[in-house]
Amino acid sequence: MVDSKTMLTIAAIGTPWFAAILAAGTRRQARPIGVAASIVSVAASAFLLRDAPAGESLAETLMLLFSCLAVVAMLVMPHRDCTTGTVAGMLFIVGSTLLAYSTENALVLLAAWILTTVPFFLARLFVARTWRPRAGLLLSSIALALAIGLIAVNGQAMSIRQLRGQNPGGMAVFGLLVIAVIFRKGICPAHAWVADAADGGPLIPTALLLNGHFGALLVARLIVPLFPNATRNLFPVLSYLALATAMYVAIRALTENSPRRLLAFLSLSQSACILAGLESRTAEGMTGALVHWFVVTASTMGLFGILRLLEVRFGENLTASTHLGLAEHAPRLAVFFVIFALALVGLPGTLSFCSQDLLIHGTLASHPQTGLLLPVAIAMNAVSVFRLFTRLFLGKRRTGFTVMADALPRERWILTAGALFVILGGLFPNAIVARRSAEAESAGAAMYAPAGLRKSSEAGR
Amino acid sequence: MEFFQATLVFVVVAPGLVFGVLSLLWLLGWVTPERVVSRITAATFSTSIVGLALIVWRLASTGASSITVAFGNWFTVQDYHFPLVLLADRLSLPFLGLTVVLAGLIGQFSATYLHRERGFVRFFLLLHLFAFGSLLAFAAGSFDLLVAGWEIVGITSVLLIAFFQHRTPPVENGLRVFAVYRACDVGLLLGVFAMHHWAGTASFAGSLPALSGAQSSTVCLLLLLAAAGKAAQIPFSGWLPRAMEGPTPSSAIFYGAISIHAGAYLLLRVQPMLVQSPAASALVILIGVLTAIHGTVVGRASADAKTSLAYASLTQVGVVFVEIGLGWKWIAVAHILGHATVRTLQFLRAPSMLHDYHAMRSAIGGELSPAGQQMEDLLPEPVRLWLYRWALDRGHLDTILDRFVIHPLIRLSRLFAKLDNVGMKQEVGRREKVALPLESSTGVGGG
Repeated sequence: MVDSKTMLTIAAIGTPWFAAILAAGTRRQARPIGVAASIVSVAASAFLLRDAPAGESLAETLMLLFSCLAVVAMLVMPHRDCTTGTVAGMLFIVGSTLLAYSTENALVLLAAWILTTVPFFLARLFVARTWRPRAGLLLSSIALALAIGLIAVNGQAMSIRQLRGQNPGGMAVFGLLVIAVIFRKGICPAHAWVADAADGGPLIPTALLLNGHFGALLVARLIVPLFPNATRNLFPVLSYLALATAMYVAIRALTENSPRRLLAFLSLSQSACILAGLESRTAEGMTGALVHWFVVTASTMGLFGILRLLEVRFGENLTASTHLGLAEHAPRLAVFFVIFALALVGLPGTLSFCSQDLLIHGTLASHPQTGLLLPVAIAMNAVSVFRLFTRLFLGKRRTGFTVMADALPRERWILTAGALFVILGGLFPNAIVARRSAEAESAGAAMYAPAGLRKSSEAGR
Repeated sequence: MEFFQATLVFVVVAPGLVFGVLSLLWLLGWVTPERVVSRITAATFSTSIVGLALIVWRLASTGASSITVAFGNWFTVQDYHFPLVLLADRLSLPFLGLTVVLAGLIGQFSATYLHRERGFVRFFLLLHLFAFGSLLAFAAGSFDLLVAGWEIVGITSVLLIAFFQHRTPPVENGLRVFAVYRACDVGLLLGVFAMHHWAGTASFAGSLPALSGAQSSTVCLLLLLAAAGKAAQIPFSGWLPRAMEGPTPSSAIFYGAISIHAGAYLLLRVQPMLVQSPAASALVILIGVLTAIHGTVVGRASADAKTSLAYASLTQVGVVFVEIGLGWKWIAVAHILGHATVRTLQFLRAPSMLHDYHAMRSAIGGELSPAGQQMEDLLPEPVRLWLYRWALDRGHLDTILDRFVIHPLIRLSRLFAKLDNVGMKQEVGRREKVALPLESSTGVGGG
């Protein structure tokens, strides 16, 4: 007899896949199908989260977050983009991502990892103009496949729970997994594909792919639990690379004038901090990383969504090299943009203020020298995102067109919901932080057994 | 929670609530009429003034040194806490009083001054947000909470500098100020982290975190970076004339009164630590002296009224820094109160300065004597000429910042862009003129 957890998991994952097939076969009603399927996933994930034991609900929380993100993506997507192919592709990504979050089997994780990338190789769906996104995704998939293949060749089980602490396949598998993270996450020097994907591909599906944060997922689910010894000795290198990426990309963003690429760089730089926090081995750092995961996901989806709405209204030649004065035509989109932008970089009163406070404390406590890069990178990102805001929305009014729509009711309500999430989360963070803290402590105890997490006051000494 | 604690909470939270409610209404499509906005503003700050007066009366009558409101922790992770504590003591009360009185006055003044201005409601929303940020920073019982208020003040300041959003210079100057603020705020974040790391707390409700001499010096130097940035002290003074692009009432309350003194407040808060650190104290005095000299020299060569006033403010804040460095805490507080009120009045009168000048000339029946010129006459001619050139470029501070910080960063960024494109047939992305986002290319001056 199938238990309720399995039923709910199947509903959460299967509904988007089934809806993808349904959407692909219809000429109209693609958006309603997509929204309905995403809502079913939200409901199923919410029930799963309700029944999950405290401290062991990370997978369920991520499922709920991502299915909510899917609802936002479906609703915020402009009418022009809402083709059957796009909706079907997005639903396929949603189902695959939820599968990756929910599985306890390395082989299934590999399958989900590959499935999320499939739409980005199909010419009729989300393929980018340049080769680098395909190369990045392909190399990450190959590295992961080789790693799991080596584990299988060694005759090990595929259950992540059974593999925990077994060091399966030794350093070769560890190295391959780290390579998979580097390529998928866009860690320097493999970062360029992320900007190419955002610049030359469909914006909202790309945002959905990036916000899966599969690199961080692989770290939390496979690398640290399976390789505790190697992690203790070698994992700081990945953390340094993540911090270097945050800094490198923050500097790179300073002179970037393509809004799509600029947002991709900011998203990359901010999400690189997640890895640094996960590696910090402090409760603050790990909790901050998990909360930051939420913040980056919500904020970047909001920013990418608003940018796409602007492109549809004002043309796709938007640039940050000159002032476009779009706030005159779309004041509410301007306000939503500035809320999400500042929420991404730690404005007090938003959830990112708490997450970055924890991240900075955790990372500095763990790595006093390299940790200094984190607040500096965040400060640079704040300047870049504010520059993008001023260039897009402020300045002399454009006169090349007549009447342009501000946020439509559908867009306004969903953007308001997103803004409320980051603001209310910031005003009352304990509801989120306490739960993430329990997960961080539980995951950290398992990940860094037998020593467990360090106290921040003891770390770095 | 007793009555006076509730009153303190009301004083701090009221402007934030007004901002939140009016913003939400606007987002949902309801535009608040000018009259309603100005009346709500008057009611909010009048009530706050009464509330603060009651708190002062209570402290004076009972002989208590402070009122503390502890809400517990905002969030907690293991042994790391973010305490939510409000504190009204002898240091914070003058600043709280100054904020509510001046914000109320500026609200009244602006209701007429900005009547039928397109951004009327936006200005008042930002005024409320600024007041909330300032009150939060001044009433914070921990450095963690102070950071929150500090950041809100910063972002509000920038949004008001870019208030006249249809003109490019205010927008670009706002961006420049934002960059300086964020860079200097890194010092505050690191200082707070250091307190948590070494003392396990950043709370000062009761006493400051217990640190050794070297630790105190480190924390003080980090906080000094943030304070110098916020107070436009050398070498960060270049942003102050740029901030004059905002509407006059916001210039008055930000750069004549509250925001410009927030850095001094931060140093006053850590004054006991500063006493433990002769090196940090000496640096505070040195920065103060240099800024005071810089302010008075550059101010004399400024061609517009608001910039002259801004540099006059800078001179006084420099002197306040010297007083803090010397340990004259209460002299510094009295200086700040006097300076803030006088300077606010001067800023608010700046738009009608010519009218005032003509009225005074008519009253005395002749030309007014040029103030301060006798000081310049004491200097030899070549020195005067050199100083004039130095003052015209505002002490070359922006040039130095551009040459040694911004240009290298931009060159590095472009190098990274080239590296990113290695192996690509054509440059990825849109090929167009690359704007230099933070260079001091835009004009500055009064607005």
